[in-house]
Amino acid sequence: MALLEIDDLRVGFPIGGRMVEVVRGVSFTVEAGEAVGLVGESGSGKSQTALAILRLLRPPGRIVGGSVRLNGQDLTQADEPAMRRLRGGTISIVFQDALSGLNPVFPIGVQLTDVVRAHRRVSARAARDVAVETLELVGIRNAAERLGQYPHQFSGGMRQRVLIAMAVACRPRLLIADEPTTALDVTVQAQIVTLLHDLRRRLGLGLLFITHNLDLMAQICDRAIVLYGGMVMEDGPVGTLFDAPKQPYTRALVECVPRLSDRAGDLQPILGASPVPGELGDGCPFGPRCAMRLDRCATQRPPLVMWEASVPGAPDGHRVACWNPVP
Amino acid sequence: MTAPLLQLVGVGKTYPMHQAMLQRLMGRRREHQALDDVSLSVPRGGVLGLVGESGSGKSTTARIILQMEQPTAGDVRFDGTVLTGLSDAALRPYRRRMQMVFQDAGSSLNPRKTVGHLLGESLALVGVQRTQRMDRSVVLLKQVGLDSGLLNRFPHQLSGGQRQRMAIARALAVGPELLVADEPVSSLDVSLQAQIMLLLTELRDRLGLTMVFISHDLALVHHICSSVAVMHAGRIVEHGVPDEVLRNPKHDYTRRLLDAVPRRREQVRVEV
Amino acid sequence: MTSRLAMVGAIARRPAGRAGGLIVCIVVLVAIAAPVLAPHDPLAVDLGAKLLPPSAAHWLGTDQDGRDILSRLIWGARPSLAVGLLAVVIGTLGGVTLGLTSAVIRGLWEQVAMRCMDGLASIPLLIWAIAIVGIVGVGPVQLGGWTLPNESKIVLLVGILYMPPLARVAYGAALLEARADYVKARRLQGAGLWPVMLGDVLPNSLSPVIVQATLLIAVGIVVEASLSFVGLGVEPPAPSWGNMLADARQFIYSGAWWTYVFPGLAISITVIGFNLLGDALRDTLDPRKSAGAGRLVV
Repeated sequence: MALLEIDDLRVGFPIGGRMVEVVRGVSFTVEAGEAVGLVGESGSGKSQTALAILRLLRPPGRIVGGSVRLNGQDLTQADEPAMRRLRGGTISIVFQDALSGLNPVFPIGVQLTDVVRAHRRVSARAARDVAVETLELVGIRNAAERLGQYPHQFSGGMRQRVLIAMAVACRPRLLIADEPTTALDVTVQAQIVTLLHDLRRRLGLGLLFITHNLDLMAQICDRAIVLYGGMVMEDGPVGTLFDAPKQPYTRALVECVPRLSDRAGDLQPILGASPVPGELGDGCPFGPRCAMRLDRCATQRPPLVMWEASVPGAPDGHRVACWNPVP
Repeated sequence: MTAPLLQLVGVGKTYPMHQAMLQRLMGRRREHQALDDVSLSVPRGGVLGLVGESGSGKSTTARIILQMEQPTAGDVRFDGTVLTGLSDAALRPYRRRMQMVFQDAGSSLNPRKTVGHLLGESLALVGVQRTQRMDRSVVLLKQVGLDSGLLNRFPHQLSGGQRQRMAIARALAVGPELLVADEPVSSLDVSLQAQIMLLLTELRDRLGLTMVFISHDLALVHHICSSVAVMHAGRIVEHGVPDEVLRNPKHDYTRRLLDAVPRRREQVRVEV
Repeated sequence: MTSRLAMVGAIARRPAGRAGGLIVCIVVLVAIAAPVLAPHDPLAVDLGAKLLPPSAAHWLGTDQDGRDILSRLIWGARPSLAVGLLAVVIGTLGGVTLGLTSAVIRGLWEQVAMRCMDGLASIPLLIWAIAIVGIVGVGPVQLGGWTLPNESKIVLLVGILYMPPLARVAYGAALLEARADYVKARRLQGAGLWPVMLGDVLPNSLSPVIVQATLLIAVGIVVEASLSFVGLGVEPPAPSWGNMLADARQFIYSGAWWTYVFPGLAISITVIGFNLLGDALRDTLDPRKSAGAGRLVV
């Protein structure tokens, strides 16, 4: 049984009297200890999917369909106390903006021990020890001394490490990281990626890494799910997605990223603009921008089907949603 | 040999830091050196890439180039004239010759004014008659790949990519020779970045623009710039042609920066 | 402009907005249409009809001089609204000018202006009004060829004391907006300081000012009522909700409830109406204008 199983998840916001769906039937799994990337741009629904898993959607947004199973238990049906036990305990989330993720008026030690004591009945002393241990685990030196420091006394990268520490303090089974490095410098970004690698290895942590940066995702994840317009376009091993993508969007996305290895000036843009939630028709969301579109792409939404059932390192195989896949 | 359009000669910038009264009375000053001996030169039609991480001083450099702040050392020269130290009035005619494209297009456009109104007021600043503003606005929009139907829209009604294009159109409205783009595509989706980069290169070629392109993204710089300067802690640590700097970095920091860039998992694409 | 219409729509969608808007509209219409709406002459004394309870002839009853309470109530809306609205207009004009210029020009002007505002803010509103009117005396004001009623003193006094909160709000908002990229962009293109201040900073700083002003209208209504209650406001026999309450004070224990309940309700409902409207305005204006806050992050 997979650690996390998402089946036909739908998330919507009531706007102007009707329900606008931003996540329109997303299904995927994350196995224990696996690192899966959730890739998408604006309008793809990736952040809302992450929030939906932890039932952290901002009202009036809500889950309007589908299920989210953690070890078999459907989280969409769980009550709030049960969810509180899970958050920080079994599943944790790290967000993009480390500065607003930490309370500026409390020392980080207090924020860390709060998390520990929320999930375990331990003494203040024991909680403090866990805090120090976790800070060292995420690479913060002089952890014991730094417990008394405030968030503003840490640099951006350090703050992100503190957030990661708070997320892993209770040794969760799954860590969801929503664009954790987007606001950080490139050199710091590389350090955080190494840290996440390290933590996965040492703690057996499952990781759902949400990002729009494909190359970065490829450094950490074994498998990736490509979202566009609120649905899964392609789902498979990272290598396959880069070398032999079947969905035209995946291919275009991989090609359009400006890279050092490209010839200077050789840019391959994807023409058109990202879809706006609520303005999507019945067909494939990428249709209007797709070089390989067929007539049926405008009216019928392609189902997510298995392309190759067994691919090494990908329990879910390689799945594609397309009427006219890349040959 | 023609003089470069833009030159920074030994530019330094220090900011006073908050300090206890007693210290100040004793004559000790704490200062933060944002820029230290920065010298740059951009020929007409050239594109200089300014690369650095946060705190490197690249944004400060942009502000100093555009005369939004004055350097505490050195000077800025535009088309041969020293701009540093000029009065506001003397500076006025130079302002429209260099324009900025901001990182966040949304915040650089007044949310209460329509696209047409925004372009109109820029055109008014350069003396375009009221009767001709509409036509000129349409031309500007076409130049950046936008439809004239957008004239009545407000900035928040445009998509991210459209907003950035609009911001570029507005900058072009006053007819600048130099465009300083401060992370113009960082806040855009990946699939839009290439579009806007292509637009900038087209505009450079068609309008003969000179550009200073500021970015933390080395790959972008590699695609569009004719020369690149790497900044770290307020200094320029490396400077040269992109191919040289990016393939044969001499400075340790440049090497660290290059190493940190995530690469595609398989080999580098073969150069044709 | 379509954004204004969208705003009205957004307010109408909120229950607070609907309720507040409705109340305010009714009160304003009543005040404007007073001559047409009032069934009787509010000043008509009829000692034979003293203290009559509500009936078909006098819907809300009569007061101790036989005057129709409904008509006095309708006419009483005028001074209440006048003081509320006019004082806010004075306060807004003065306050926004000071706050906006302080935030944009800064320097010595900023210090002088804002410190004056601080000083003024330390004066309690009612005490100030009572003191000044007490000193100057109650009675009509001669201004050139014009004779203004006593309430005009209140309008001026309250208007002056409204400047500090409105100046502060305008100052805070303008400080933020003046730092925005779109202001920098305009200045970079060569736009002058004053056009940018009036055309760019001002319109974007108005939202919190509008909210504050609406709430101050409510305060103004209470101030007028209070002053009229103590005899320093609208001079009898002209009706004002406040002086109607003053007249009714003697009847609180003797049973003529219609003399004080209706004026009291009028004040309360009107104040609630403006407060609700102000709340709805605040909810509509704030999230929309801050960059991206109202948009979905997917």
